[in-house]
Amino acid sequence: MSEHVIQRMKDLPSTHLLGSGTPMCAGCGGLGALHEIYDLLGTRTVFVNAAGCMTLLSVYPFTPFRGSWLYTAMASAPAGAQGVRDALDILLEHKRIPPEDDLSTVVLTGDGAAYGMGLSATSGAIERGLDFLYLCYDNEGYGNTGQQFSGATPHAARTSTSAGARGYSGEKKDLFSIWTAHRPVYAATVIGAEPLDLAKKIEKAKRLTGPRLVLALAPCPTGWDFDPQQTVEIGRLAVRTGIWPLKEYLDGKVVHTRVPHPRQPVEDYLKTQGRFRHLFEPARNEALLGEIQARVDAYWANVE
Amino acid sequence: MYRIRFHGRGGQGMKTASRILGSAFFREGYEVQDAPRYGAERRGAPIFAYVRAAQRPIHERGGIAQPDLVVVADETLTPIPAAGVLAGVSARTVLLINSAESEDAWKARLNYAGRIVRLPGGGETRERAETATIGAICAGAAARLVGRISREALALAVDDEIAALGREAAEKSRERALAAFDALDFAEGCVMEGEAHDARGYAAPEWVELAAEAALAAAPDIRAVATSVEVRTGLWRTLRPVIDYDHCKGCSWVCSTLCPDSAIQVDAEGAPRIDYDHCKGCLVCVAVCPPHAIRALPEKDVQQAQEATA
Ligand SMILES: Cc1ncc(C[n+]2csc(CCOP(=O)(O)OP(=O)(O)O)c2C)c(N)n1
Ligand code: SF4
Ligand code: SF4
Ligand code: SF4
Ligand SMILES: [Mg+2]
Repeated sequence: MSEHVIQRMKDLPSTHLLGSGTPMCAGCGGLGALHEIYDLLGTRTVFVNAAGCMTLLSVYPFTPFRGSWLYTAMASAPAGAQGVRDALDILLEHKRIPPEDDLSTVVLTGDGAAYGMGLSATSGAIERGLDFLYLCYDNEGYGNTGQQFSGATPHAARTSTSAGARGYSGEKKDLFSIWTAHRPVYAATVIGAEPLDLAKKIEKAKRLTGPRLVLALAPCPTGWDFDPQQTVEIGRLAVRTGIWPLKEYLDGKVVHTRVPHPRQPVEDYLKTQGRFRHLFEPARNEALLGEIQARVDAYWANVE
Repeated sequence: MYRIRFHGRGGQGMKTASRILGSAFFREGYEVQDAPRYGAERRGAPIFAYVRAAQRPIHERGGIAQPDLVVVADETLTPIPAAGVLAGVSARTVLLINSAESEDAWKARLNYAGRIVRLPGGGETRERAETATIGAICAGAAARLVGRISREALALAVDDEIAALGREAAEKSRERALAAFDALDFAEGCVMEGEAHDARGYAAPEWVELAAEAALAAAPDIRAVATSVEVRTGLWRTLRPVIDYDHCKGCSWVCSTLCPDSAIQVDAEGAPRIDYDHCKGCLVCVAVCPPHAIRALPEKDVQQAQEATA
C-alpha cells in the first residue's frame, strides 16, 4: 500500500478489502474497526486469531480475508504470531522467499483473551521484541459465549454473569497501561466510530518495527443491548464523554489524540445501553452514577 | 410429549420465547427442556429454539426434528432454506406465523397440509426497538395453542424470564404475551402431543464412509480469497437502507467507511453503492449519513414492489 498520508476523511481508503458475508452480528462494532484496519494493512498479512467472536469470520470454506489467517487457542495468539514470524524470517534468511513476499503478522483477539488468559503470552511477546501488530477488539465481555464478564467489563455493567441491581462489581483493567509498562514500540487506543483517528494510528503503526499494540473499543449491540444502528453513535459518545480516551504511546510518552472539550456527562453514554439500564430504572442509582462519573473526571484531571 | 420449535432472527427474542414457554409449562407441573440452538450466526440471522414438555421425564435430546407446533416469528424466513422452517412437519403440525397475510394465503404458498394460525396483529410494522417483545408474544400465543397453560402461569413465566431487562420491558412483554394468549381463544388446544419416540425403533442415518486422508489434504485450508461473499447475508435484513441520490452529497468516505460489513462500495464516480446481497440491514449508514439521504424501508415492501414491476 502506499506512502499516501491520511489527513482528512476524504483520504480514507475507498476500496474495502474485507469480504462481506461474515457471520458477525449486524452492526458489530468490532467488525467495523477490523474492516477499517484491514483496508489500511492490506492483504500482505497473516492474521493470528485467538478464540472469540472473530474466529467465526473464517469457517471453512468461507473467509473474508484476502491474505492469510490462522486460528489459535484463546490464550495463545501471540505465541502463534511468534511462530509465524520466525518461519517467515527463516524462509527469508534461506532465500526460499524473496523479500517482497514477506508478510506482516497481526494478532486479532477479543478482550477476554487480551485482558485475561492471553495476557502472559502478550507480555512475553513484547518482552522478546516480536515484530507484530496486536489488535484487541474490546466488547467488554466474553461475547462469543453469551457475554459473561471479562477483565474488560466496566464497573456496574450487567453481563450474563453479573445480574442484579449493581451489575459487575469489578473494575475494568487498564490494559493500555499494562502494555505501555512493557515499553513496546507503539501502543494506541482507537474506535471504529472515529475512522480518521484510527487510520492515522494504524498508518503510524504500520511504518514501525517491533511490538505494536492497538486496543479498539468495540460497541456490541448483542452484548451491550442496543439497536445495531446506534453502534457508531455510541462509539462517538464513548469518546465525547471521556469514558474511552483516544491516545497513543510512542517513544516512552503517552499523547491524547482527542481531548473532549467540553466533556459530556458519562450518563449520556450509559443510558444508550441496556446493560446499564438498572442504573436508571426503576430509580436512578445516583451513588453508582456518581462513582462512574468521578472515575472519568479523575482520569482527565490527570491529563488536562 | 409436546415438541415446539421457534424460528426467528437473532435479536427477536426466540431464546426468550422458548424460556417463557418452558417456564410456563414448568409452573403447570410439566417436565421441561428449553434451549436455543447454538450456532455461528448472530443478530439478524435465522435462529432456532426448542421446547419439549411432558408429564414424564424427558429422555430425548437435541434439536426437534418432528415438531407438533412450529412458531415463525418472522415470515421472511419461510423461503430461506437455511432457516428450515418446514423441516419435519406433517399434517398434524400446527404452524403459527407472524404475518399480515391470511391463513389461506399461507396454506397455498407453502402447500401446507396442517393447520395454520396467524399471530394476532401479525405483520404489523413495529419499531425495531420492540422486536424483542415478539418473543413474548410468540410464547403467549403458543401457550394458548397447546391449551395446557393458564393465563396466570403465563404471566408469572414472563416475569421470571424478563425481570432482568427492567420493569418497563417486563410490563410491555407481559401485556403483549397475555393479549396474544387472549386473542387465540378460538384455537385453544389445537396442538396435539406427539408420541413418545422409542430408541428401539431408531434407524441410524445413512452414514457416508470417509476414508482417512493425509493430514495435508484433510486440513481445512481455504486457498481462495474473500469466499465469504458466497454467503448472502442480505437475507438477514428486515429493513433496507435506500440511498436517495438526489440528496446524496457524495461524501462516500462516511457511509462506506462506517458500514461495518463492507457492504457500501464506492463506484468510479465516487458515489456509494449498497450491495444488497450482503447488507445485513443494521442501518448504521442511515444513522450516520450527514444530509439524511438514506432511508430505511421494510424489506418486505420493497420486495413486493419489485415483484409487482417485474
Ligand atoms: C481456554 C478456553 N476457554 C474457554 C473457551 C471458550 N470460549 C470461546 S470464545 C470465548 C469468549 C472469548 O471472549 P473474548 O476474547 O472477549 O472475545 P469475544 O467472544 O468477545 O469476541 C470463550 C470463553 C475457549 N475457546 N478456550
Ligand atoms: S456478539 Fe458483539 S462482538 Fe460478537 S459478533 Fe456480535 S456484535 Fe460483534
Ligand atoms: S453518507 Fe449519505 S450523503 Fe454521504 S455519500 Fe453516503 S449516502 Fe451520500
Ligand atoms: S444497513 Fe447500511 S451500514 Fe448496515 S450493512 Fe447495510 S449498507 Fe452497511
Ligand atoms: Mg470480548
